[in-house]
Amino acid sequence: MDFSILITNFWSLGLDGIVVGAIYALISLGYTLVYGVLRLINFAHSEIFMIGTMSAYFVILQFGFTGYEDPLPLLEFVGIFLLLATVSAIVSGGSAVLLEIVAYRRLRIMKASRLSSLISAIGASFVLVEVFRVMTDSKNLDFPRLINKDPFFTWGTLYLSADKVLVIVGAAIIFLILNRIINHTKLGLGIRAVSQDERTAILMGVNVNRIISYTFLLGGVLAGVGSAFYMVFYETTKSNVGFLVGISAFTAAVLGGIGNVKGALYGSFALGLVQQYTSAVLGYNWRDVVTFVILVLVLLIKPTGLFGEALQKARV
Amino acid sequence: MSGIKASSLNLRNKFGDWWEGANAAQRTIFRIVVIGVFFALPMINNPIIDTPETSFTSVLFYPLIMFSLMAIGLNVVVGKSGILDLGYVAFFAIGAYTHAVMSIHTPLNFWEILPFAMAFAMLAGVILGLPALRLRGDYLAIITLGFGEIVRIVAVNTEAIGGAAGITDIPGPSSVFGIEFTVMDPRTYYWLTLTLLLLVIWGVLRLSHRKPGRAWEAIREDEDVAEFMGVATLKYKLWAFIIGGAVGGLAGAIYASQIRSIQPEMFTLNLSIMILACVVFGGMGNIWGVILGAVILGYIPEKLRFLSDYRIIFFGLLMVVMMNIRPNGLLPRQKREKFQEKSK
Amino acid sequence: MTKKLLEVQDILVNFGGVTALNKVNLHVNEGEIAALIGPNGAGKTTVFNIVTGYYTPTSGNVIVDGESMLGLRPYQIARKGLGRTFQNIRLFGDMTAVENVATAADSLNKSGLVGSLFGVPRSRRDEAASMEKAHELLKFIGLEHRALQMAKNLPYGDQRRLEIARALALNPKVLLLDEPAAGFNPQEKVELGQLIRKIRDRGFAVLLIEHDMSLVMEISDRVSVLDFGQKIAEGTPAEIQNNQRVIDAYLGVAEDAS
Repeated sequence: MDFSILITNFWSLGLDGIVVGAIYALISLGYTLVYGVLRLINFAHSEIFMIGTMSAYFVILQFGFTGYEDPLPLLEFVGIFLLLATVSAIVSGGSAVLLEIVAYRRLRIMKASRLSSLISAIGASFVLVEVFRVMTDSKNLDFPRLINKDPFFTWGTLYLSADKVLVIVGAAIIFLILNRIINHTKLGLGIRAVSQDERTAILMGVNVNRIISYTFLLGGVLAGVGSAFYMVFYETTKSNVGFLVGISAFTAAVLGGIGNVKGALYGSFALGLVQQYTSAVLGYNWRDVVTFVILVLVLLIKPTGLFGEALQKARV
Repeated sequence: MSGIKASSLNLRNKFGDWWEGANAAQRTIFRIVVIGVFFALPMINNPIIDTPETSFTSVLFYPLIMFSLMAIGLNVVVGKSGILDLGYVAFFAIGAYTHAVMSIHTPLNFWEILPFAMAFAMLAGVILGLPALRLRGDYLAIITLGFGEIVRIVAVNTEAIGGAAGITDIPGPSSVFGIEFTVMDPRTYYWLTLTLLLLVIWGVLRLSHRKPGRAWEAIREDEDVAEFMGVATLKYKLWAFIIGGAVGGLAGAIYASQIRSIQPEMFTLNLSIMILACVVFGGMGNIWGVILGAVILGYIPEKLRFLSDYRIIFFGLLMVVMMNIRPNGLLPRQKREKFQEKSK
Repeated sequence: MTKKLLEVQDILVNFGGVTALNKVNLHVNEGEIAALIGPNGAGKTTVFNIVTGYYTPTSGNVIVDGESMLGLRPYQIARKGLGRTFQNIRLFGDMTAVENVATAADSLNKSGLVGSLFGVPRSRRDEAASMEKAHELLKFIGLEHRALQMAKNLPYGDQRRLEIARALALNPKVLLLDEPAAGFNPQEKVELGQLIRKIRDRGFAVLLIEHDMSLVMEISDRVSVLDFGQKIAEGTPAEIQNNQRVIDAYLGVAEDAS
């Protein structure tokens, strides 16, 4: 265990933790929103994210960048990024809606057991991963460098680069928009109503099927935007990228309190930071084990997470 | 689709009627015949059932009988007790590695190692189960998934047991009753596994028709109410894990002894999912359905080799489709309303 | 001195910010049929959930036949002598009727897996005893002809009765019935009343949650009334029917209540 790296790079690790946390947040919101309305963990949400990365890759491919050019000028970059984010958002959002219809809807109507829904979700998840694995021939897909990542501001060991700023600022904007949607629109009201009490919501005239579709759409869109950030930041993807990123995002949602939007945010940043710091000390290989341990600990000790209420007994 | 359902139900009912009417002698003869057929399978040399690329006898061993054995084990956990375990491959891996390591580093032979392989897998079941089984379904499923992955990651990162390269030159079972176990001939392994499978089936059936079986099913049906009715749910869930683990470990040890070299990448999440698909497809909780599922799902990708690359897609789709159309599987656990008590 | 088989002492239950039960005191005497009534949301089912160990009260005690149940898990409390039914029928749907009852009967013996697997004499005896008891209870309740049918396929009335048989298999000191008459027509309610009396005569004390006042008043020895988590009255059916507070809170004028 090497604490020296941790100490010297404390702030830069912290910054990276926030950046990674922001990306996780965009994905974990999908888990938490769907859980809120369905009381079900959307296992295949990680693949919705993966699909977003794939569509971002596909878009970039059309531009013919080889990755060896100079990074783009700022304005051009912003334009292209917005395009990426929009396309990914649409593709992921649409995939999410389709996923709900194919894998979940019928089971919900039939009031099938929880076990059945889980199995259907897992099946869907596997199908998606495998389809893309076959399509991409199991290869890593690399993104060209679109933006100049040289740090434009340093403070000690803290390096502030454009891509990090992009993620943080972009995510913040998204969260503000989301907050508006959840708290100040009819859709948000519907989502909150169904999350709290589906039966009453129905009695109040809420079209639950539509709300659920919109919730999936919203989660998918967020994941899609997150995937665009992911691609700019990490510059690579493959068919099973969803697995590890998904576990992290899911853990973040549970840590914050699944079903709770605020919780998903805090949980994501907290997890991002913990991951960075523990990686510095224990080494990168153990990052996912640490994440998993956190998940287990939260579920065993405080299943409602930091902010969640006992939506349903997590403990039997 | 409903035509198939109707005719298979008819077939089943007809069989059920016959079974009910048959006396002990007739039933025993039937059992002997069926078992005999399974034993005779490796002898069949028919181009119709032959599998391209791998010999039929090899396929009989893996995946057919291996999947069947593991599916029976997983069935106790998922099918009977309703606990979604996504990390079943962990028990398989532990059994395999136990045999691999012990056969090389200790003077014990396969038969002597077998109990250890099962014991370690059972222990793993307890270690996983004690914390995990207190959690509700979705969370439990994720924990089990993580467990399966962690076992694999540990195997990759532990040089003492071969690391990513795995272990090679694993000896096979020493001969018993004059029967040699060579690499070239999968038939002996098949027969060995078949024998053990029959033993396991016997054991599971015995448990199913008595208190443990009722407790497990009650847990699956409504765990809270099972508790209200005095069932010590945690204890029985743990037992389900232990039994599932024992069977998985058994399968793993045999597998390692046949294939003679193992690597961590053989024990992936995909395998857990495939076994789960067998249970789901065949009929959750129903032993015969599960075996049927294992046989079909094991055989088809081998027979139709072009499917092989898309095997996982096939399994995944199958799971989604089955849950939506026929959640109870091909042979649902339909208790025969008339004969249930007689055949025990 | 009548023995108190079940005592609910000063039970306080806070869920989040809501006080579901506010220092409630109840008891059930040996050989009696006690009823618990009150408007929806008054906390009646919560009492059952507390008493059977599903929730832990914020404070207070539950005593069964002189023994405190605090800290015990539901399955332990079930074995100590509390059997219950549920407002929404919760049978083991994919199990047969006799299996449903046998599962509860099983809880009374100590046979384990190993014994069952190897067929040791004690396990064999326990198995036979469980099945015999299950059949006997089905006969008692009038469902013997349904023994091998799947619980989910039974008609509604039979399902309700099966739940009762299952709870009885625990040899409970007190049988807790949660709205057993829901969905019954008047004739069925009469039969249910007779069944409950038959159960009492066999030696089980009964605590009944019900909305059907004619049934309650007809068969109960004692009635407790809950409103907003508090007990507002307790007494004989006659006393309760004339209690102004109860009338205001719940019964309305006598004719309406049924």
